Parts: sequence; C-alpha cells; structure tokens
Amino acid sequence: MKTRGAPLRALVLGTVAVLSVIYILPVYVMVVTSLKTPLEITQRHYLAPAGNLQFGNFATALRLVAPALLNSSVISVTVTALSVFIGGLGGYFLARFRWPVTKVIFVLLAIALYLPYQAVLIPLVRIMATTKLALTHFGLIFSYLILNVPLASILMATFFFSVPRELEESAQMDGASRLQIFFRIVSVVALPGYASTAILVFIQVWNEFLLALTLVTPYTTTIQVKLNDIKGSYVALYNLQMAAALITVLVPLTFFLFLGKYFIRGILAGALKG
Amino acid sequence: MNPTGLAVRFARAKEAAVFVLPLLAFLLVLYGMLAWTFYTSFADWEGTAPNYTFAGLKWYRFMVGLDRFWVDLGNNLRWLILGVAPTVVLALFIAYLLEIGAIKGIEAYLRTLVLYPAAMSFVVTGTIWSWMYQPDRGVLNTLLRAVGLDALASGYTTDPATATYWLILIFVWQYLGLGVLILQASFRSVELQEMVESAMLDGASRLRILFAVLIPNIRGGILVVVSLLLISALKVFDIVYVVTFGGPGYATDVLALFQFIATYQQHLVALGSGLAMVIFALAFIIIIPYTVYALQRWFE
Repeated sequence: MKTRGAPLRALVLGTVAVLSVIYILPVYVMVVTSLKTPLEITQRHYLAPAGNLQFGNFATALRLVAPALLNSSVISVTVTALSVFIGGLGGYFLARFRWPVTKVIFVLLAIALYLPYQAVLIPLVRIMATTKLALTHFGLIFSYLILNVPLASILMATFFFSVPRELEESAQMDGASRLQIFFRIVSVVALPGYASTAILVFIQVWNEFLLALTLVTPYTTTIQVKLNDIKGSYVALYNLQMAAALITVLVPLTFFLFLGKYFIRGILAGALKG
Repeated sequence: MNPTGLAVRFARAKEAAVFVLPLLAFLLVLYGMLAWTFYTSFADWEGTAPNYTFAGLKWYRFMVGLDRFWVDLGNNLRWLILGVAPTVVLALFIAYLLEIGAIKGIEAYLRTLVLYPAAMSFVVTGTIWSWMYQPDRGVLNTLLRAVGLDALASGYTTDPATATYWLILIFVWQYLGLGVLILQASFRSVELQEMVESAMLDGASRLRILFAVLIPNIRGGILVVVSLLLISALKVFDIVYVVTFGGPGYATDVLALFQFIATYQQHLVALGSGLAMVIFALAFIIIIPYTVYALQRWFE
C-alpha cells in the first residue's frame, strides 16, 4: 500500500501540521505556564517561554501533592501486582480449559470489563464504610481489584493463546504439574504479556477518579482527587495548577513514552480479541 | 460414563479450580454488588442510614418526573453521537493516511502524537482544557484576540447553549488516538493487504479502495472502536465534574454526575441506585453486539 504522489504528500503534511498544533498546544502551554510567575501569566503571553524558570512552582506543587502521590503509588502498585497475578491464573483457565462453562465465564467477564462503576458504587461504599476499610488503603485496593481482575484475566488470556502448546505438552510428559507448567514455562514465555497488562492496569488505576473521589478520606486521597482540589482552591494560580497537573501525569506518561510498545500491545489485545 | 472417565474429569476440574476460583470469587462479589444496587433501586432508601424497605417503582416514578433526568438523558445522547461518530470518521481518515502515508518517519510521530492523551487522566486533561477554555483570560480566546480573530472568541463551557459540545471536544481529543491505533491494526491483516493490492492492480482509486475494500472488511475493528467509544462516552463523569460540574445550571449535566450528586449530596440513595441501573442498562445494550462478536472470535 506504499505509493507516492504530490497531492497525497500535501494532504499528509497538512494533516500532520494541523494535528501537531492541536495535540502539542495544550501540553506546551501546560509546561510553559508551570514555570512562570503569576505576574508573568497576567501578561498573557501564553506561548512565550518563562523569562525566569520558576522551578519553585514544582517544589510548592510537590509539597501539596506529596502525600497523595504516595497514596496513589501504594494503591496502584498493589492493585497492579495482585490483578496481574490473579488475572494470570484466570487468563490461563480461559485460554486452556475450553469448556462450555468457559463461555459463560467469558460473557460475565466481558460485561464486567465495561461495567459502569456506578452500578456497584453504592454497595461498595457501604461495604467499605461498615468494615472501616475505607480508612486505609485497603478500601481502594480492594475496590480496584474487583474492577480490574476481569480486565487482567481477559488480557492475559489473549497473551496465553500465543504461547505454543507444544511447550506445555513436553513438560507434561516430564511429569510436571499444571501449576508448575504455568509458573515455570507459560508465565515466563508470556512475560511481555504480563508487562502489557501491568501497564494498562496501572494507568487505569492511577487515573481513576470516581471511586477515589467517593471513597476519599484524609488518609487515602489519591493524586487525581488532590489535583481536582488544587484546581478548585488555587483558581487563579495557573502556574501551580499546571505544575501539579504535570506531576500527576508524569508517571503514566513516562510509561507511555518508554514502554509504549507494551502499552499499545495491551490496548490491541484488549480491543481486538476481548 | 465409566468410573475412570469420571475420575479423569474430576482430576481436570481440580486442576482448573486453582486457576479459575480466585477469578470467580471476584466475579461473585462484583455481580453480588450489581444485584444489591438493583434491589436498592426498588427500596425506600432516603437519607444516610440504609433503608431496604421495598418501595416498588416509587423512585423510578420520581426519576422520570424530574426535568433534570431528561436534560441528562439528552446530554448523554449528545455525548454518544458526537463523542463517537466524528471520532470514528477522523480516526479512519488518519489511519488510512498512515497506511498510504508515503513519508518516512511520520507514522511513528503521528501515532505518538495522537495517542499520548490516552495515558492521561480526565482530571489532568480537564484541568488543562479548563484553562484553554477560560473565556476572559484563557489560552484560546487570548490567542484568537492576539491575531485579530475576536469574532471567533467564545464563552466555550460557560455558554449553556454550547457548553456540552466543548466538553465533548475534549473527549474526542483524548480518544482519537485509540481509534487510530485499533483501526490501523485492523487494516493489517494479510488477506486485506492482498485485496488492496489486487484492487490497485485493477486501477482502483485510493478513495474507492478505502470505501469498497477496506471499510467493508474491517467491520470487526470498527465495531470494537465504536463500542469502546460508546461505552466511554456513556460513562463520562470526570470531564464534566472537573470542568463544569454540570453547569451552567444543568446545561452540561449527565446521568453519571447526577447519580453521584443524588447519592452523595442529596442522599437520595434509592434514586441514585435507579440512575445507576439506567446507566447500566444503556451500557448493557451497547456491549451486546460487541460481546457476541468477541465470543465468536474467541471460541471459533
């Protein structure tokens, strides 16, 4: 499908130019503004870089968000590790035990995968409040686990499909048990799949807002809830807002830029097969 | 069934149990909570203390009597149509350009360019775009006025007549990359590439190839993208909460935001459960075709 032609080139270049402006402008303005003084911002030269780089904005923003950053890290890392582990086991069942009941489980998973969180929000908050789990990180960890294990299972299953069965069969003949085969062979071969699933779950949990907002306590405020607070309380201080937004987005964006291959594979695995 | 056959089956089931039981436990909790919400929507729970007295359709009747409910439903419909149709068309266009692209290095650049917002949260994008849209000193209006295009400067999300559309634009901006990624991947099947090549040998124009060869043969990919976008547009909460909180008035309110406010600010928990069930029912309708398609692909 590779062909060349002058009008086509012009069309491609035009599209690239327009998209570049639309997609770079917001982030460019965010970065530039985060380094300005409030006085500089009132001069409204939004595209101009900061005269004096105000790295102090980041120090201030970081002081504001540090506890939330820690909460989000603890919650996201724990949920990711557990989802990937349980999802790995479940995914292996989906990929290798093709019974009629597997279809039923698959349909239940497909619905769970796209379930609007509202549908379970009220009971979840009730459970977390009565058990007092909401006062600790476990409240959000447990909630996110319930919602992310289905996603992790489906994703891992698609990756296990591509692990050749012959590997397992020869190990089976050597007398290895199913669990040994799973942990020592299949999981090792499917490590890139684990990476994709982990990145997707991590980003989803890190970015989640509704549950974090509903279950919020002073001890479990996540970074997204904190950023929304900052946006509300420092209305005119756009430099602080933008610095905090940049800090919030730094972790998932780093994953995207440096492990983009796994991120993309994860999305495609979820989209085209599940 | 002879005893050994049964024993083999039992052994297989025992083998499978280790893998599937943890997953089933989570699914059980999930569907248990769904049933709980369903029941609560028929209860008489009003106030902070739970009340599970059966009240029939009382709160559903209350819901359909509210103007706000119908405003929200209308807004959700706008999200479903305008958040999805333009995104799919644009994504198709960009994905096709990438395929026939012709300029080296541009594919990786363009893909990263449109895909990076997918890694960002709606709270972050909402924070940035709130400032872009701010009418008095916001970025867009300032830039427009600076180049003399004052006529184009607008109130964006502060104008009740257009506010929802500006919110939807943020959504399109954020989800376009996912559409491009998935559609481009579905162009890549070997059979499809062969069909395109033979069509080109027959002298078909690029536009004809797109509409006569590519689009009809990536129905699966389009179904996936449309379902993904529909479900995301339906669930929209963060953008509205962060940028306008449903305002001005109820102009940008959506079911998900009303559900949150009804439950946690007005403490009309039965109403909140009812709204949650409406959102769930719409989501359910959206994912049926998708689930059937996925099921066929998985178990073919």
